[in-house]
Amino acid sequence: MRDVASDPAALELLRVQRGRLADRMRLPWWYQSGTAILWALVFAGPFSSRYLPRGVPTWPILVAAVAVACLMQWGLAWATGIKLPFRNLRYRPGRPVGIAILVVFLAAGETEFLLIRHGLLAAAIAVAALGVAAEMACLQVALRVTRRELRGGGGAA
Amino acid sequence: MIAKPDPLIHPITRLSICGLLAAGADWVEFAALRDAAGISDSVLSKQSRVLEDAGYVEVRKGAVGRRPRTWFRLTAEGRQAVAGHLAWLAQLEEAVSASTRGRAAGEAPPGDRDQPRRVLPPLLGST
Repeated sequence: MRDVASDPAALELLRVQRGRLADRMRLPWWYQSGTAILWALVFAGPFSSRYLPRGVPTWPILVAAVAVACLMQWGLAWATGIKLPFRNLRYRPGRPVGIAILVVFLAAGETEFLLIRHGLLAAAIAVAALGVAAEMACLQVALRVTRRELRGGGGAA
Repeated sequence: MIAKPDPLIHPITRLSICGLLAAGADWVEFAALRDAAGISDSVLSKQSRVLEDAGYVEVRKGAVGRRPRTWFRLTAEGRQAVAGHLAWLAQLEEAVSASTRGRAAGEAPPGDRDQPRRVLPPLLGST
């Protein structure tokens, strides 16, 4: 077994290995499709308040969506071999993209409500589609942040 | 965090395993760790057992259908040891490159092969 004290390139080797680990972090097609469908469901919420008959409960859809999201996270860990810790907005590298996800969610949702109230259905659908596209772009940015973290070891080396 | 060498993480294979587990993932699966480290199944099994016995690595075994899946993660103790060891290695790397730069700039007489050794002992913690 080699000894690292005689090998100043040990850290360089570790960087290469971390690069290999980061390269495994790819989003499978089903994960991207599933996420797009879940966001589409989220942005369909404002339409349900107006076009769904009264008395139809929306909570089963919500529970099913959360269950599907959990299953997708499990599937992603299974496919990549990497389970990431839960991150909230306190996690600094992921904060900008986390805030962007929230801002898009709130802005698109509120705009949809406003447009639906004024009877501009086509515009509301367009905003919903744009919202899904923006959230998917945020997902790609989040993936890049995760890869960068895995590559850099969170500043550990 | 104190930069200090850890003899258990010192061998390159264990350094690779620990360094990869400290990269930011919570759990890393056996095949992912093996491929990233570029080591064989048997080497990973053997070295991970050493790290598990030392309390540096936590191992979780499961199966999906008939396929067994083994997951690894660093314990809090392991995370601290790895951070200290990597910081020590970074210092070592810096000392070696500073020494090389000094030699290249003509600070030391050409052929002074003992200079890195004079720099390294304090970092290695032994003389």
